[in-house]
Amino acid sequence: MAAAAFERRVLRRAAEHHYLRVRLELPDGGARPNAAQFKQLVVTALRELHGEVGAALPVDVLTYEEKSLSAILRVISSGLVKLWSALTLLGFYQNRRCAFRVLQVKPYISVSTCVIWQQ
Amino acid sequence: MEGGARTHTFMLPGKLRTCLSITCQILPFFPCSARLQGSLGLWKMYGEGFKQKVSFLIPECGLLPEVLKSTIADIGDYYLVRSLPIHELVAHEFIDAFVKKGSCYALTYKTKIDQDNTAALLPNGKLILSVDKDTYEELGLQGRPSRYSGKKVMRYSAEGSTLMSYFSKHQIQALRPKITFSTLRDLQCPVLQSNDLQGKPEESCSTEELFEWLGAVLNQVSLDNKSSSFLSTYCCPEPNTVVEKAFLCTITGFIIPEKIIQLLEQLCCYFGEPKLAYWLTLTVHGFADSPVSWRESEHGFHKGGENLYNFVIFRNLDYWLQMAVGAHDDCPP
Repeated sequence: MAAAAFERRVLRRAAEHHYLRVRLELPDGGARPNAAQFKQLVVTALRELHGEVGAALPVDVLTYEEKSLSAILRVISSGLVKLWSALTLLGFYQNRRCAFRVLQVKPYISVSTCVIWQQ
Repeated sequence: MEGGARTHTFMLPGKLRTCLSITCQILPFFPCSARLQGSLGLWKMYGEGFKQKVSFLIPECGLLPEVLKSTIADIGDYYLVRSLPIHELVAHEFIDAFVKKGSCYALTYKTKIDQDNTAALLPNGKLILSVDKDTYEELGLQGRPSRYSGKKVMRYSAEGSTLMSYFSKHQIQALRPKITFSTLRDLQCPVLQSNDLQGKPEESCSTEELFEWLGAVLNQVSLDNKSSSFLSTYCCPEPNTVVEKAFLCTITGFIIPEKIIQLLEQLCCYFGEPKLAYWLTLTVHGFADSPVSWRESEHGFHKGGENLYNFVIFRNLDYWLQMAVGAHDDCPP
């Protein structure tokens, strides 16, 4: 039997994109934004902190759940700090107080919430 | 152990009975492929630790394959024990009844590795404690500073002697892992060549593209966006093919490595008969807040608590093994 070929690649900090699991908190209990409005809010956050150049940063809303206001965002790795800082410092949505909670930041998509206890 | 009585809630996977001692050091004969058998020996090292979710995806398959039915049915329960003082873990009866039989794991429940005191029991009988400075000084155990606690050392790791206890006096709850099946229709799947990890333009996708795509599928991310789309521009890597159906199974709970090895073996046996699929995947997620990741390497949360590995098994039984850890982890061996 021929010997099996073996190849190993180690990639450190080589991810092209980073993925953020975020949740928007709207304590006033009013109308929830839909997916497009949510994306617009992210763009607004970038514009407020980083200007028009920041607002042009490509951010993908990969998933959005209107009920829990949680989403997975994808951003190019070089734009991670801009996006994360913009989300952190956003305080208002349509004159309503709000806050973004950044729950996890990863160089790949994976499930993060542990639901094994919710039985 | 005197003093420092802190109550924690523990969970134990597996049935509280004599196990078959299928630890990671004893691999049963693997009938499907001699070629993989040697490679699986290498993977035995990685197959340890605490796993919270296992998913496998089989393209060109609509139902749970026969070879997997018994393994899925026999995943086994895990147990949640509330308000268990750690000092009760030191009991010879428990060591004799469970630890010496092997395959006994425990992990503290809802503790954050970078904030709370966390404990983990490994099947070799080692108890790993990750505690804050005050607790460490109270315990009086010998340990070492955590490698991931920042410039000012605030966390310590300590290893106790083998210890276990019975939990009937405590509030113990048996839980069954949650198993979900779904059939994905018209799924875009990347084209892969087993001997080409980096991919070739217009011929095959790279390992990184496959990994990203798989994460998207497991998280129900839409794969057919346009580049002009406002919400998302993510799409399946090229080249890709559209498969009519793909079977996705997800098991969520406290899953021991022995079960995962069984699952892996059965998935390899899937290709024992001719199949349309060129490859299938098995993804295993560890706990983000576990104090250990690979073997007994210290694990930290940092920004995400990454701790997972993924197998891609090809029809010719070549395989890719992708392992992901975070900044507060050792590189897997």
